Amino acid sequence: MPTALLGMLLFIASEVMFFSGLFATYFNARATTPGAWGPPEGAHELELVLAGTLTAILLASSFTMQFGVWAVRRGDTGKLKMWTGITLALGVLFLLGQIYDYSQLGFGIADGVFGTTFYTLTGFHGAHVFGGTVGLTIILARAMRGQFSARNHVAVEAVSMYWHFVDVVWIAVFSTIYLLR
Amino acid sequence: MQPTVASSRLRKILRAGAPMFLIGLLAGCLLPPEPKTEVGKDVFNLYIVVLVLAGIVFVAVEGFIVYAIVRYRRKPGDDTLPEQHHGNTKVEIIWTLIPTVIVFILFGFSMATLSEIEARSENPGVVVQVDGFQWDWTFRYEDGPVIEPRGNEPPVLAVPVGEPVRLVLNSLDVNHAFYVPQFLIKRDLIDLGENGPDNELEFTITEAGTYAGQCAEFCGEAHADMKFVVEAMEREAFDEYMAALASGETPPPTGGGECSTTIEIKANNTQFDIGEFKVPADTDFCIAFENQEAVPHNVAIYDGGEAIFTGEFVNEPGSITYNVPALPAGEFRFICDAHPAMVGDVTVTE
Amino acid sequence: MATTTLEPRAGTYQRSWVLDWLTTVDHKKIGILYIVNSFLFFFAAGILALLIRSELAIPGIQFLDQNTYNQAFTMHGTIMLFLFIIPALSGFGNYIVPLQLGAPDMAFPRINALSFWLLPLGGLLIFSGYLFGGAAAEGWTGYAPLTNRSEGVGTDLWIIGLALVGTASILGAVNFIATIFKMRAPGMTLFRMPIFVWTMLVTAVLILLATPVLAAGLIALFIDRNYGGSFFDPSVGGNPVLWQHIFWFFGHPEVYIVILPAMGVVSEILPVFSRKPLFGYRAFVFATIAIGLLSFSVWAHHMFTTGSVLLPFFSFMTALIAIPTGIKMFNWLATLWRGKLILATPMLFALGFLSMFLIGGISGVMLASPPIDFHVQDTYFVVAHLHYVFFGGSVFGVFAAMYYWFPKMTGRKLNEPLGKIHFWMHFIGFNLAFFPMHQLGLDGMPRRISDYSPDAGWTLLNMVSTVGAFLVAASIIPFLINVIATFINGEPAGDNPWEGNTLEWATTSPPPAYNFDRLPPIHSERPLFFLTHGHGHAAVRPEDLEETAEDDVERRDGAV
Repeated sequence: MPTALLGMLLFIASEVMFFSGLFATYFNARATTPGAWGPPEGAHELELVLAGTLTAILLASSFTMQFGVWAVRRGDTGKLKMWTGITLALGVLFLLGQIYDYSQLGFGIADGVFGTTFYTLTGFHGAHVFGGTVGLTIILARAMRGQFSARNHVAVEAVSMYWHFVDVVWIAVFSTIYLLR
Repeated sequence: MQPTVASSRLRKILRAGAPMFLIGLLAGCLLPPEPKTEVGKDVFNLYIVVLVLAGIVFVAVEGFIVYAIVRYRRKPGDDTLPEQHHGNTKVEIIWTLIPTVIVFILFGFSMATLSEIEARSENPGVVVQVDGFQWDWTFRYEDGPVIEPRGNEPPVLAVPVGEPVRLVLNSLDVNHAFYVPQFLIKRDLIDLGENGPDNELEFTITEAGTYAGQCAEFCGEAHADMKFVVEAMEREAFDEYMAALASGETPPPTGGGECSTTIEIKANNTQFDIGEFKVPADTDFCIAFENQEAVPHNVAIYDGGEAIFTGEFVNEPGSITYNVPALPAGEFRFICDAHPAMVGDVTVTE
Repeated sequence: MATTTLEPRAGTYQRSWVLDWLTTVDHKKIGILYIVNSFLFFFAAGILALLIRSELAIPGIQFLDQNTYNQAFTMHGTIMLFLFIIPALSGFGNYIVPLQLGAPDMAFPRINALSFWLLPLGGLLIFSGYLFGGAAAEGWTGYAPLTNRSEGVGTDLWIIGLALVGTASILGAVNFIATIFKMRAPGMTLFRMPIFVWTMLVTAVLILLATPVLAAGLIALFIDRNYGGSFFDPSVGGNPVLWQHIFWFFGHPEVYIVILPAMGVVSEILPVFSRKPLFGYRAFVFATIAIGLLSFSVWAHHMFTTGSVLLPFFSFMTALIAIPTGIKMFNWLATLWRGKLILATPMLFALGFLSMFLIGGISGVMLASPPIDFHVQDTYFVVAHLHYVFFGGSVFGVFAAMYYWFPKMTGRKLNEPLGKIHFWMHFIGFNLAFFPMHQLGLDGMPRRISDYSPDAGWTLLNMVSTVGAFLVAASIIPFLINVIATFINGEPAGDNPWEGNTLEWATTSPPPAYNFDRLPPIHSERPLFFLTHGHGHAAVRPEDLEETAEDDVERRDGAV
């Protein structure tokens, strides 16, 4: 495994622990807060359909990212650019969808324990998606400059690993907040 | 040749060991205060067991280090290598198993003591809600009376001696802790809002007396000032005290709190340094007593033949502050109970 | 064995040395930057300690009002842990680990530089509270809801500064782990690595996994303070005990992060200055790994008095850690046994570590018992314990590393007599300062109090402790004189002044930019032993001479 990829893997391990800390606050709050666990009175219920759609978008983007990785491993830099571009678009779509969801919710981070943990968990996930889109932009730009080949594309592998991680975290966030409730 | 080398080694060991010994001595034998609660006794006993084990480990390991420094020091000019031992599996196993056994034993003792001290009785002698807040205390008795904070003086928590005292620890703001060193136990006050119940602490005090306590969880600016006093008294006296509280009268003097008047008395050469002192009537006051010789002395106050105040003995050179409960107006005497010739007059004026 | 010193110059242009040091990505320079920076913070936090001890020497408020006192101990703890000890040991790690691995640098040199520069930035941010109405004043543990509600930006600056420092640590950990797994010289299998590298590896894993949890907690606290969050403040539905769980889940591995590298340093020094190998190298490695694993399972022993903790579990796991720690102690003692001890200053500090860490470990086992903890939690007993392990342990380790590796880093040996004066002043002062605190805690003196009653009977021991603290401070004087004088005019050290057996001694002092001209063959954890003492030596084991499969296959960037 190339050193840079090991570095990304280790960094992802630290990020997993970061999200574990945030999940711990969510589960602790859920377990100790009396009464029903959910958005405060008067606010909308969580939109499962919208969140489900976002999940599908992010999941799809993992697939497209992987197609891009396989392409460059074969030496097909044309497909790499295409799939990276699609992944980037899907990522941005996810972020826009997330922002739209926030605008519809009717409660904020300062509206009780549920509000705080909800926005912190989804917000930091969104921030990580944003970081991922920055990474995708960079490898797209580098791909367009012809910097990648079948033998030389560690950055693509690293960014793809990060992107899959971001997707896995979303599955966990979605399952916990929307499904498990 | 042999005796010189051995005695010089011995001197080296002593030189290295002496400072540590002195420090140990200085440190006052590493014991907690004499416990004044039942739970404290259990803790004290457990502590002794652990201390003894710790002492053995300490002497063995430190002893070996000192021994190694002396015995295995390279002789000047010696360039040869010692035997290059890399390891020994059998030895590793032995010194893994022995600490494991010790750990299990300590853990067992610990858990046994824990279940004793966490036991709750069916019939506590008194139940008090302790409200801790930045930076004082309020004590709310289950039967009604409330001890408000007094500003400059620590509030007094009166409890019966010899009966279980149950405290419900309620924080009104940040984390605090209820701690009386002589009880050998403490517990945090944490505001969990609706998320959880308050902590409870239960103990039985074994000896009547006045016990100083203070907050032991950093709680902000005046954490150091957040003090209180526990006054343990016989059940009869306690009932009178509670009755006085309930009826709104000033409770009988407890002897706790800051000193409004302090009388300084020194003892040396089997004599007090003053022959008389005056204090105002119906006011608690303090005697700052300094014993300057290694002969036991105390200060006791007598009304005729009856002792109305008996101060603790100071057996070696040292100081103590007696909190003397208010005296009625009149003439009394102060005396050292061990030396009747050490005597003086007390004038208590309106 | 000895290599010639080449002085290659990158390009033919002159570079100002200021610019060079500001922009360097060379692990050796970065290591020195870490060490110098951490000592600057050490002095700052040390002055805070002297202020604290001066105030506490006798009852009554002398010159620090309560709020200033509270800021002092908060800053003291935060700076000592996050900006002195860990960076100092990381600095030695940065300098020495690539050398000990036979590598030319760390895996990610530029991230290495970033990790360093985040430190003074974070530290200055934390201190800047003093300029903006008061530094953080809630203790280095920052318990909620006190930290939720403290006014002013001091606490916010503390949070942000710590987040930066934590990020630096995490990036550093990534670097160390990648370097150790990917850049070992041919022939150096994992079990032929120096023990210091092993301790740095386990430390890096702990940093990687624990520090992010602190980051999560700090972010949550920031949200509570500034965005109306409800994580920890009970008045809005939060849970103060949650903060303690999150903080200590990080906080406990943190203390092993602090001690393990120092244990590694001691494990390097004891064998060299006993002239025999570390006894039980493998046992030592496994004990280190066990400590690392167990460290994640004990955090709530800091919370016994909260009433919210499963006491038997945490008490048991805490007591268990005593076992691998004991194994290490016995292996160290066995290393001394029948050795030929050279009592030079590095060895004195290493032996001091053994003695002092033993005491700290013993008081730790006492604290592991909930009934005993109920009495001494939040008293000076804990302050004594933590200083015996942090100061008597890690700081002794830092000074041991200083005296041991200073010759390698600068080419000059520190003066021995001055070193011994430093050691004895330090050792005596340290024990005078902190041993009485055991008794003060047993007597019931709580920690974090700016003053105490004259009737309490704590005055004498506090006075003794203050005298000790000033003696420790004074011991820095011979140390500084030594360092400065040696820089100016020290005795040249040569490649291997201590007859060490690990690879850092197989190059010049200081090493050239690329570290090694050529590497000796590596068949054991003591590669230089053969070069010094020859293959025919009785101590050379047959297995040391066998080539392993890895010896042929190893490529720098090959399989993990």
